[in-house]
Amino acid sequence: MAMSDPPFTAVQIYLRKRRWGLRAIVAALLLIAIVGLATLVLGTALAWRYTRHTVPEFTDDVQHFEHGSIGAEDASGLPYKIWKTLPEVYPERFGHRRDYRAFGFLYETDAKGHQADLPIGIARSRVNGVDMVWFNCATCHTGSWRDRAEGSVHVVPGMPSNNLDLYGLIRMLLDAGADEKMSPDKLLPAIEKTNGRFGPIDKLMWRYVVIPRVREGLVMRRSRLGPLLETQPEWGPGRVDTFNPYKMIQFGIAASTLSPQERIGTADFPAVFNQAQREGMNLHWDGNNNSLAERNLSAALGAGVTPDTVNHGSIERVAAWLKRLPAPASPNHPDPGAVSRGGALFQTHCAVCHGWNDPGHGYVFKGDKLGKVEPIATLQTDPARLDSYTQAFRDLQVGKLFYGTPYRFSHFRKTDGYANLPLDGLWLRGPYLHNGSVPTLAALLMPPARRPAAFVRGLEVIDRANGGFVSPPCTPGQRPAKGICFDTRLPGNGAGGHVYGTQLPEAQRRDLLAYLLTF
Amino acid sequence: MSGDPIFEPLRFRHLKVKNRVFRSNISGRFDNEDGSLTQTRVNWETKFANGGVGAIISSYVPVLMEGRIMAGYGTIHRDDFVPLWKKLGDAVHAHDCKFILQLSHSGRQMDVPGVHNSHRPSLSSTSRKESLHGFLCQAMSLGQIRTVIDAFAAGARRAREAGLDGVELHAANGYLFTQFLSSGINDRKDEYGGELPNRARFLLEVIAAIRAEVGHDFHLQVKLSAIDRNNVMPWEKKGNTLADTVEIAKWCESAGADALHISSGSLFPHPLNPPGDLSLETLATTYDTMISSGASGLRNYLLFRYPLLRPIFRWLWFRMKKGHVVEGVNLDEARVIKQAVSIPVICTGGFQTASVVRDAISEGYCDGVSIARSLVANNDLVKQWAAGHDLPARPCTYCNRCLVNAIKNPLGCYEPARFADHDAMVAELMSIYRTKPDLRVPTEV
Repeated sequence: MAMSDPPFTAVQIYLRKRRWGLRAIVAALLLIAIVGLATLVLGTALAWRYTRHTVPEFTDDVQHFEHGSIGAEDASGLPYKIWKTLPEVYPERFGHRRDYRAFGFLYETDAKGHQADLPIGIARSRVNGVDMVWFNCATCHTGSWRDRAEGSVHVVPGMPSNNLDLYGLIRMLLDAGADEKMSPDKLLPAIEKTNGRFGPIDKLMWRYVVIPRVREGLVMRRSRLGPLLETQPEWGPGRVDTFNPYKMIQFGIAASTLSPQERIGTADFPAVFNQAQREGMNLHWDGNNNSLAERNLSAALGAGVTPDTVNHGSIERVAAWLKRLPAPASPNHPDPGAVSRGGALFQTHCAVCHGWNDPGHGYVFKGDKLGKVEPIATLQTDPARLDSYTQAFRDLQVGKLFYGTPYRFSHFRKTDGYANLPLDGLWLRGPYLHNGSVPTLAALLMPPARRPAAFVRGLEVIDRANGGFVSPPCTPGQRPAKGICFDTRLPGNGAGGHVYGTQLPEAQRRDLLAYLLTF
Repeated sequence: MSGDPIFEPLRFRHLKVKNRVFRSNISGRFDNEDGSLTQTRVNWETKFANGGVGAIISSYVPVLMEGRIMAGYGTIHRDDFVPLWKKLGDAVHAHDCKFILQLSHSGRQMDVPGVHNSHRPSLSSTSRKESLHGFLCQAMSLGQIRTVIDAFAAGARRAREAGLDGVELHAANGYLFTQFLSSGINDRKDEYGGELPNRARFLLEVIAAIRAEVGHDFHLQVKLSAIDRNNVMPWEKKGNTLADTVEIAKWCESAGADALHISSGSLFPHPLNPPGDLSLETLATTYDTMISSGASGLRNYLLFRYPLLRPIFRWLWFRMKKGHVVEGVNLDEARVIKQAVSIPVICTGGFQTASVVRDAISEGYCDGVSIARSLVANNDLVKQWAAGHDLPARPCTYCNRCLVNAIKNPLGCYEPARFADHDAMVAELMSIYRTKPDLRVPTEV
């Protein structure tokens, strides 16, 4: 019987009706099966695509230090494609460059002079199938110097990141988080223009997952850090408030609940040379921890890792390498007689706290008070950084971070001053004092009242006469062509205290300076 | 033979049968498509009469064409068929055998609907399709019930006019009466459904109508299923119990029934009726006749056709047979019913051994037995018993191949073990076609 023939029997009529019902059910089941299979295949492909975690490995220790992941990209990072696109979206914030030099990041160049894709201190790894970038140890601990303004740039791993304008970078990102240019409609075309076109699935994922999540992250950071940054003087290049953002990000403490004393903790990035010799010393500017491992882990948290994402192996590899990383020898060659006389003066007035340099043989990490905390009452330097680290915060660190793991913090303590640090690589560590408030070694040997009230920070030309970097005077409020005008009268920027040697006769101070220039 | 209860006459109110053995209702598709009888039918019935049974209960005889279970069965729905039935009665009577015509209506249990009935669902008490084959049906209106009651009365009248010895209402084995009686099938909400008296109303009204039509001196017996066991398909309800049937039996007696005929099962065939084996291999070659009869026909055929699927049907069918004998399968129930009524009770179910029948009668289980398959195998079974044989030399094996062939092939014994060869079996099957009719040139076409 052809399908068009009328059914003859009652059973045929019944079965024909039932067949249509069955066909509908079969069609529905088939559709469900096809959709299910397609979903399974697509889901599996997407799951494979968007669950992959890959972390590049570097055989070279320096490369690992400069570009290896410590686990900060997972929770704190930016997608690589957005990192690459931001200079196109906000050209005025990037000095109309397509890189991050505007924020003081350093780039390696190959033999042909081609600049590397990512700056030193930015690691890249694949998180949930998306290439992410963010900070590592080198972000804050790799700086540069040049002999003269037009001279070639020397990048030095382990020295303070004297150029890095972390404050500027964070402000730029927080502003972007609230900017419509970061909406998927506007950002997607910019990303595609910079990085090439997305496939259809990737485009959907970026529109509905990746970009919204990045914006959510930036909005959260803006919500938490914005009020803090509003109340702080601009950090300037080479400086960071280590613990206050830590309080906001790791513990969700509101900026408004901070006491006026702890609100500003801005200080210079420290050098990280010769870490083996520092084991057991009171580390951090205020000497709040005498464990290298804990100090390293805490610093990694500041760089953006979380207890869940931290890559302990990577951090330990960096730490092992830093233990053996020597400070580069000073390029200064002052008068040997002055150096000799200055050395004697140093032994008398300084070595007990700082150890000493043995020209030709390296730094001597000895001294009864080396690595010990000097009470603020004695030092009289600016207390803001000391006050920013509170007992309450210490208790949170110890009680919550890595709790129940072998990495739980146990060495942090609240101190009453700043630690006496070894001065190895001193020529690369200007400006001086914990808050970088004194531009040169020569200025540091002057009584506080005669130290510059305002000077330019962020120039990388070494000052062979005065020690540190060339830091011309400036007028607060007027932005110099490069760097910022650092105003020592602003909260946390005080240049007072540490008056050791300032009372010596000028000739002796010159000799002492000559000796310090050899560090 | 003297004193042998098997050969004692059985006296009903208005009928005397020479012995206690009845040929039970069984039929092949021998008759014409219009329901008129053929010589083959006469030959078929006569050979049992000749074999010594006391009475023949006819095959299933529809009172309406819409009530046929199979095309090719003789009917009694037309007055002009009365002479044909009379001829058959005469043939049987020639052997001192009585002929009781079984008045029937298939309801939804219509195995081969034929050209008259295939275009519409069958009439039934319910609109739920039958469970085993998926036969379609439509619940009868009150007017349709009245029409059918009248048809039964007319059928009885025609039987009497044909000089037959009585009628039997086929109220067993799943046909229309069962469809009203069974609590597993009848889902009506009117006065013909619900409690047992309502479900029995249709049967009792038919008895009353027959009595009104033919009077009280014409033999009328009722065939009942003692227990429905309606759950052959496990999801179906069990249906009527023996207690229900005892009540129905008493009501039948009160309404004017002269005898009861006890079987079992609310569908046909049923695992316990006819009892014995079921050859799925044979069904694989014959059930194709019924594929288009019901909504589940193809499903069943596939279950029979493919050996890998057969265990499914085998489980469904044979799980109900456990604990039941084949010969005398209904005797216990028959005795319970017999004890509740004062009219004779005939019992069916695998009888073949004289001593078993003798004991059943003498011990009060029943007053007589009806036999189909054992008589198909040995038409002269009664004579063999009379000759002193307790069991025939080549007995029925209860293989039920006669049953599963009947829907497609001539009715007869298909048990290979009982024949010397295939030709011998076919020769036996063909014996009823030795009609030698007087062929004539038709005067009108």
